[in-house]
Amino acid sequence: MKPFLLCTLCLLCLATRLNAQTLTISGEVARPVTLSAEDIKALPHQEVTGKDRDGKELHFSGVPVIELLKKAGVTTGGELRGENLAKYAVVKAIDGYEVVFALPEFDPAFASQVIILANRVDGAPLPAGTGPFRIVVPNEKRPARWVREVRSIDIRFAK
Amino acid sequence: MSSKYRLYGCLAIALALALTGWTSWRAVNTPLTPYALRFPASFGGRFTIPADNPTTEEGVYLGRLLFYDPLLSHTGTISCATCHRQERAFTDGRPKSIGVNGQPTSRNAMSLTNLLWVRQLFWDGRAGSLEEQAIMPIHHAGEMGMKPGEAARRIQHVPLYTQQFKQVFGTDSLTDTLIGKAIAQFERTLISASSRYDRYLAGKAALTEAESRGMALFMQAPDPARGIRGGNCAHCHGGPKLYQELFHNNGLDRHITDTGREAVTGMSLDRGRFRVPTLRNIALTGPYMHDGRFTTLDQVIDHYSDHVQAGPNLSRELTARQAGGLRLTAADKADLKAFLLTFTDSTFIRNPAFTRPATLSVR
Ligand code: HEC
Ligand code: HEC
Repeated sequence: MKPFLLCTLCLLCLATRLNAQTLTISGEVARPVTLSAEDIKALPHQEVTGKDRDGKELHFSGVPVIELLKKAGVTTGGELRGENLAKYAVVKAIDGYEVVFALPEFDPAFASQVIILANRVDGAPLPAGTGPFRIVVPNEKRPARWVREVRSIDIRFAK
Repeated sequence: MSSKYRLYGCLAIALALALTGWTSWRAVNTPLTPYALRFPASFGGRFTIPADNPTTEEGVYLGRLLFYDPLLSHTGTISCATCHRQERAFTDGRPKSIGVNGQPTSRNAMSLTNLLWVRQLFWDGRAGSLEEQAIMPIHHAGEMGMKPGEAARRIQHVPLYTQQFKQVFGTDSLTDTLIGKAIAQFERTLISASSRYDRYLAGKAALTEAESRGMALFMQAPDPARGIRGGNCAHCHGGPKLYQELFHNNGLDRHITDTGREAVTGMSLDRGRFRVPTLRNIALTGPYMHDGRFTTLDQVIDHYSDHVQAGPNLSRELTARQAGGLRLTAADKADLKAFLLTFTDSTFIRNPAFTRPATLSVR
């Protein structure tokens, strides 16, 4: 019985790991979540326009990051005050590239632009090497925080 | 024996007892000397030293002894330093390393430099700390071939070690974990920051014209539309430490034989990706790549220029602007190589603090 259980468990783990084009939101959250491309597709989308490194204007479609954070129970809106303003998000790509955002940057109560997790560009899915998910910060002058191949968002406290 | 001699005898014994008592008391109670890690401010403070393994002079020295000691291998013939030789910036000069069974291991030995800052060790990033990493080669069947616990048992009764472990970790019972901790302390001190390029960055040396042109190619991304050639090397190998901790596929193969990072994460988007290695001391650390396929820097530069293979997950940094490679001219290649040669740090490979300790011979 025991070896059988172990085997099933291992297989299950393997299956979840192999099927892994997912986004994880963890850290200082009420409930860590792992979202598949399908989960993300099912959420309300928003369109934004922004200039990539080559200066070309692109039309992205994706989910406002704030909506993803709400799913994980991150402190947003009215809760984003006091010590919660010392929280930040580390967005990490598959290759290990990491950039930081302060939580108010995502929150419509503070920010005038909408930062999205894009899954489509100019009507097509993001190309290999960029997708399945990319952060787009529409008004930022240099797209260095437009993280490609986003893998996880980790919420932390500045300590 | 007269009573006088008996008195002297007693005194001598008492003195001897007191001395041994004092030495072992001292071994446990003398505060250890913190080791001062020195590096340029530009290297930054993005590293963690585990709270239960602070770096101390005594611990570093113990780690250094262990690093050079073949007792830690099954055959008693292979030490860490067999595959990580100081004069080659702690590599072994072989395409793939050879361990206890005389067979090549599966990958090329990595340079041990500025490991203080590396958070995911090995070509595939599978070790999360130096403490964890250091015992892996000891237990690796093809490297040092020891069973768990065997290394600790082997050195448990070597007086040099009993004394040192007592002093550093305050215990008589040696474990593999403690061996790993001591070696990790030594590895943190292997800091290289005195190449000519470092001196150039500090404003203390100049580059030749060829080296300067090579540097421009290294830093610049190609833009064929505007007739700009570039290597874009800095995207992955940039910064004062000459690497970014990223996992990429740099186009070695169309068909992947070593899955690399995928074996650690289970994600197909990681297939064929490897950790970007540092280019520090690159002139000394050949053969190159995870499988040691290139013997010279010219071959490496030719690869990036003319032979980049469109396998799965090839980094877009190497393709987005120009498929197939960077198409550098012969002059570009020579300039780029000249710049790579400025990364050699000859004080690092001669630093007496990193050499084989003489005490090992009289163990
Ligand atoms: C038989 C040769 C061999 C021996 C002996 C050996 N290594 Fe290695 N070392 C390698 C190879 C090969 C790699 C790369 C392996 C991989 O990535 O899969 C490596 C990688 C490493 C790395 C990773 C460096 C980085 O940048 O991630 C460290 C650290 C290291 N070795 C330390 C040690 C220590 C400490 C010892 C002794 C306890 C040791 N090695 C013994 C061959 C060896
Ligand atoms: C997209 C990231 C990326 C770019 C850009 C890049 N490299 Fe690399 N480089 C890597 C990776 C990853 C490896 C290890 C690959 C492997 O072994 O599978 C590597 C390996 C090397 C090595 C071998 C190092 C060793 O210790 O074996 C050299 C030398 C090198 N690169 C030089 C360059 C030069 C010169 C350029 C610019 C023309 C460049 N690289 C551009 C990612 C990159």
